[in-house]
Amino acid sequence: MSRDERELEALRHLADRVRLRAVQMTALHGLGYLGQALSSAELFACLYGGAFSPGRDEFVCSPGHYVIAFYGVAAETGLLDPGALSTYGFDDSLLEAVGTERTPGLDLVFGSLGLGLSGGVGFALARRMRGQEEGRVFVLVSDGEMEEGQVWEAALFAAHERLDRLVVVIDANDSQVDGPVHAITTLEPLADKWRAFGWEAVEVDGHDVGALSEALDPVTTQRPRVVIARTSTRTGLEVLPVDADGHFIKLSDELATAAIAELEARLA
Amino acid sequence: MREPPYPTVLKPYGRALVELAREREEIVCLSGDLTRQCEVDLFQEQLPERFIHTGMAEQNMVSVAGALARRGFLPFVHSFGVFTTRRPYDQIVNSIASARLPVRLVGFMPGLSSPGGPSHQAIDDIALMRAVPHMTVVDVADAVETRAALRALVDVPGPVYLRLKRGEIPVIFDEPHSFALERAQVLSEGGDVALIACGMMLPAALNAAAALRGAGISVGVVNVPVLKPIDAATLLRVATQVRCLVSAENHLVTGGLGSAVAEVLATAGIGRPLRRVGVQDTFAEGAKSAPHLFRKYGLSTADIVAAAWSALGRDGPPPTVGEVVADAGEYAPV
Repeated sequence: MSRDERELEALRHLADRVRLRAVQMTALHGLGYLGQALSSAELFACLYGGAFSPGRDEFVCSPGHYVIAFYGVAAETGLLDPGALSTYGFDDSLLEAVGTERTPGLDLVFGSLGLGLSGGVGFALARRMRGQEEGRVFVLVSDGEMEEGQVWEAALFAAHERLDRLVVVIDANDSQVDGPVHAITTLEPLADKWRAFGWEAVEVDGHDVGALSEALDPVTTQRPRVVIARTSTRTGLEVLPVDADGHFIKLSDELATAAIAELEARLA
Repeated sequence: MREPPYPTVLKPYGRALVELAREREEIVCLSGDLTRQCEVDLFQEQLPERFIHTGMAEQNMVSVAGALARRGFLPFVHSFGVFTTRRPYDQIVNSIASARLPVRLVGFMPGLSSPGGPSHQAIDDIALMRAVPHMTVVDVADAVETRAALRALVDVPGPVYLRLKRGEIPVIFDEPHSFALERAQVLSEGGDVALIACGMMLPAALNAAAALRGAGISVGVVNVPVLKPIDAATLLRVATQVRCLVSAENHLVTGGLGSAVAEVLATAGIGRPLRRVGVQDTFAEGAKSAPHLFRKYGLSTADIVAAAWSALGRDGPPPTVGEVVADAGEYAPV
């Protein structure tokens, strides 16, 4: 489905609004999972601004520390009271920095990595057993998370069961706690691996809202689908120092002010 | 209650699950490649549309079960005890227990009943499952109790771990057997020593009680099929009537029945000597048969008798235990 420039611009705008919200939440603590929001901003924008429909579809956020991006997009799309974002990560807040059972708005979120795809597989299986024709199950998976064996157990099973309503979106930002994913474990060739497991695999620039949206459009294959979104944890925020730790960014007051100014200027 | 040797039956669990699933459409059966060994080949044959074979991938199996439970299904997950508890522990915690989902984890071949070596011996499954918040933990003694427990646990709102012997299952109890998840069963009362047993150690405890009675000792026997939540009231009532207690479990003495009984006694301030019969701090090796391992690692009738004798402070050798001979198709404790 081709989209006009106005639609794409709206998605870019939404992605930057997610970035702004994430900077504001991170600034409350001076550090946090900002890099994940920067890499996945377009991804959340294209899902919640288009491909994904709550009620019809289900969304599983496998890496729980990505909830910062979800909170941002949920506040922007009316799924979450924007006022609640100021409680992010504080004592007794529902909006914990790593998602939990109490996290509002998500169909499923895990803090322990590698579990989410199995959750999505269970949802897709439940839909099939109930004869539900409408809707899809989206699962966000991070690239570092693919070091966990369970992801591949689930991938094998989903393909064997031909769960064609299942869509995995990988935020391939090449970032994990100890550094770049590629320096720690060789995941490449990623698309070939998923194809060899029986999946339909597409690879896109994860900051290109046109390419992402197209990759997330419904397709009729007999197989589950994986969208490998190539991203970076620094995209969309020029003021970040080049050596910022993508997994857990330190955000001084000065840097936060500059980041907010940059994003507000772009959004104006 | 019957006397040993006990008759045995095959697949009491598998039959009962199919029967229950015919009444309850939300029940689904997951198997991790040990379908016949876990008695659910019957389910696979008779209700194939609700049978899910996940292959030998227990982490995925457990997380898939959690997601199915979130969507209104009542999943029963099957493998050997080691593979339903040890291997997918993180998945049990994060995909099932943290959301208090009604998934039933069924683990076969408990403790030293396996000739498969330490990799196949679930000696820590009760301890692991007791440590999971919201988990109900059940270790049944015979075929009658298996059926009764299945009926009782189907409506528990949270997760349940059900521990089952594999293969020929003894029939110890007469029917109807009074079973409730909330209640430990006082099978006999006595004033000197109480033998507290669960699962496969119940026949040995009954046997030990007979031997001790022959030596003039007043013995009570309590069957504790539900390890968590444990029936503290019954245990305390029994404990206050005796001078000492012996727990007997086909499991490590750490974290299982013996530990649970000790916690109950200590919390209530009931100071009674407690001897814990079970696997000590070791793995069990050199296995061709379960009886050999039960003898070698201190899980025999004679071990229970000796523990009671010692706890009572009796001098001299403990009474000898007559061997119960079991013919083919019968079951007798070691």
